[in-house]
Amino acid sequence: MSSTGTITPYRSGQRPGRDDFPHLLRAEWTKFRTVRGWMITVVAAALLTALAVVALAGASNGSQNAGAHPTVAIGPGGEAVTDDFYFVHQSLAGNGSITARVASLDTELPTPTGPAPHIAVPWAKAGIIIKASTRPGSAYAAVMATAAQGVRMQYDYTHDLAGLPGAVSAASPRWLRLTRSGDTITGYDSADGTHWAKIGTVSLAGLPPTVQAGLFVTSPQLLAPACPPAAICPPGSPPGQSFASNSPLVPYTTQATAAFDHVSLQDQRVKGDGEVGGAWRGGQIGFPTGIALICTRSPGHVCPRTPAGGFKNSAGTFTVAGSGDIAPYVTDVDPLGTVLKGSLAGLLAVIALGALFITAEYRRGLIRTTFAASPRRGRVLAAKAIVIGLVTFAAGLAGAAVALPIAERKLRSGGWASSVYPVWSLTSGHGLQIVVGTAGLLAVAAILALSAGAVLRRSAGAIAAVVVLLIVPLILGAVLPQGPADWLLRLTPAAAFGLQQGTPHYPQVTAVCQPINGCFPLAPWEGFAVLCAWGATALGIAVFLLRRRDA
Amino acid sequence: MSAGRGMSRALRAQGATLREAVHAEWTKLRTVPSTAWLLLTLIALTVGAGALATAVVKCPASCGEDTTKLSLTGILLGQAAVAVLAVLVMAGEYSSGMIRVTLTAVPRRFTALAAKAITMTGVVLAAGIVATVGSVLAGRLILPGNGFTAAHALLPLSLDGPALRAAAGSVLYLALIALFSLGLATALRDSGATIAVVLAVLYIVPILTDLGTLDPVWEHRLQRYGPMTAGLAIQATKDLRGLPIGPWQGLGVLAAWAAAALLAGGLLLRLRDA
Repeated sequence: MSSTGTITPYRSGQRPGRDDFPHLLRAEWTKFRTVRGWMITVVAAALLTALAVVALAGASNGSQNAGAHPTVAIGPGGEAVTDDFYFVHQSLAGNGSITARVASLDTELPTPTGPAPHIAVPWAKAGIIIKASTRPGSAYAAVMATAAQGVRMQYDYTHDLAGLPGAVSAASPRWLRLTRSGDTITGYDSADGTHWAKIGTVSLAGLPPTVQAGLFVTSPQLLAPACPPAAICPPGSPPGQSFASNSPLVPYTTQATAAFDHVSLQDQRVKGDGEVGGAWRGGQIGFPTGIALICTRSPGHVCPRTPAGGFKNSAGTFTVAGSGDIAPYVTDVDPLGTVLKGSLAGLLAVIALGALFITAEYRRGLIRTTFAASPRRGRVLAAKAIVIGLVTFAAGLAGAAVALPIAERKLRSGGWASSVYPVWSLTSGHGLQIVVGTAGLLAVAAILALSAGAVLRRSAGAIAAVVVLLIVPLILGAVLPQGPADWLLRLTPAAAFGLQQGTPHYPQVTAVCQPINGCFPLAPWEGFAVLCAWGATALGIAVFLLRRRDA
Repeated sequence: MSAGRGMSRALRAQGATLREAVHAEWTKLRTVPSTAWLLLTLIALTVGAGALATAVVKCPASCGEDTTKLSLTGILLGQAAVAVLAVLVMAGEYSSGMIRVTLTAVPRRFTALAAKAITMTGVVLAAGIVATVGSVLAGRLILPGNGFTAAHALLPLSLDGPALRAAAGSVLYLALIALFSLGLATALRDSGATIAVVLAVLYIVPILTDLGTLDPVWEHRLQRYGPMTAGLAIQATKDLRGLPIGPWQGLGVLAAWAAAALLAGGLLLRLRDA
């Protein structure tokens, strides 16, 4: 009424606090490190990861496992290889070349009784090869027509280059050529024999002066459930034989037959047209034929035997039959991948930590102070995500880096052959993938749990939700048939566990790739991207709800 | 009349009876919104996952499937909701401070724990029956369309011995999971820590045994004594001889886990301050 001036409101003498992002990060880090239980949990997560992985490695006894030390050939790089094929060859001394035309390639499934039904084998191969010797595992380079993968140039087992696409047939044959010059071998293909295209030039170190050159045919085993479609069920097996959908895949031996003509082997030192003109010798390389393969079918079933390969030369047209494969040996067990599942213990700890990092604030009412101090809620959650992500990443990195070398040493002494189950050093690409991938898995899982905690505001519910999304698909993957299981492991965040795959896979080798064997349908980093997409989506939903709701 | 009132007063001096404690627990349980949500989640997850699992299995390819077990696959997921419910019943009270009120009203701590166990078991059994019956019915509706017909004698149309045992056993399995979680929650008192431990113990064991590179002795031990791998043996209706542990023995192993957790929780509840 009588007051003349307005009343000046009270202002604190202190300078206003900063609300920029670095300070927000610092505030969240301070909150995290001053809660003793959380610091203990993050150290425990690292320890649990390391201890569980090492303990599992101790419990993985390779001497009890038939797959731990298979009889394999050893390739030029010291790796285990499959080197089984029918070889029609001559010696080639010094530099020269070999040329042939593949006119047909058929694949069939030999059965103990009755006619052999036709069966599609995508990686059945017929082509020409230059090989250091006839010893399985020796260095080679080959150009080949495949049943469903076009023309390929492959060398030294692990390398694969693509040539002309399309299947081979009488109407569209494939011309193939290899030339040797010292240690260098160049592969060519052609559709007509006049226009040649270079596929690749490769160097095979230490190739002896005299090599074996010639034609080869081989057809890899087909992996199918124990009683698959009628085409594979051998005659005489009971119809609708009962096998569960997740029954293990078993190998079926297949045989390929190819026709070659215009075969020419040329030696630079031979005068005139250079044609060597020697006699072609045929022989099986690798496993002897007629041996029953490992057969896990029901008792009483006659296991298919390896069919005998062979060749026939009628007026320059060679018909060659063979089975096997020339490829890296790919195993269907993954001891290192199994052992790394020990990190699930640490994973559960960081999931709990991520959820509690925000639900504890709701429980104690601290969230109101947090939002009063920093009203922009999205930035608060971002700061929390960065802090929890970095802390759990560090824990995972430490745990995995300590565990990997110890676990590998234990597996080695436990009887797992190093040629089949390679040792990844911490600095190798795959070793880094395992260690950094495990750390990333823990970090993104913690961020996912943080987001779930912000959405649900209850720790138990948030933790259970993340566990059901991230870990239960691994169990369901072993229960469901392969197709749906693959989709489950493509779409759920569990796809990221592919990062922990311990044995390498090659696209040119059809191997058992079942989640139960530690093999995932997506490539490792693609799987990790799926997990990240889940994390980002959950974080987005959490920010949206945080802004809309009262705290 | 007056004698009865005197008796009740005398009893009251020693704290509430088990019956009154159960009534109090029931009131708490039914008036918390999370209970209804979690029970709905249990039913939805169990029936939904079971229906999906049966929908993707076709007969000519995999007629040998244990269809009863398959249609009960959802229990794998549903048990997570049961564990959350059981953990909240106890650890939720510790986080809100309600436990002090509860123990003031029911000072006998074994009685308080027993009341919680009884109430929660009743609720889980009821919801578990709905979830299991729903899963079995969903399987019955879906499986014939996928080629699992009575003509192959692959789907018993009546709930015969093994199928009934699998279904009833699944309900008991859920109740035992609830008791196991309640015992652990009583011992650990923190909901986040308890649920992480419960889910770790349940889910990590089957992942390790599925991968097939462990020492066979260890693998067999884990399958026999892991709470989930042993308890879910009750769902098998085929190849019973191939199981690492018999159906009822397996459920017995889970019951031992639950009893041990409850005992540890009860003793700690008795010995510690709230």
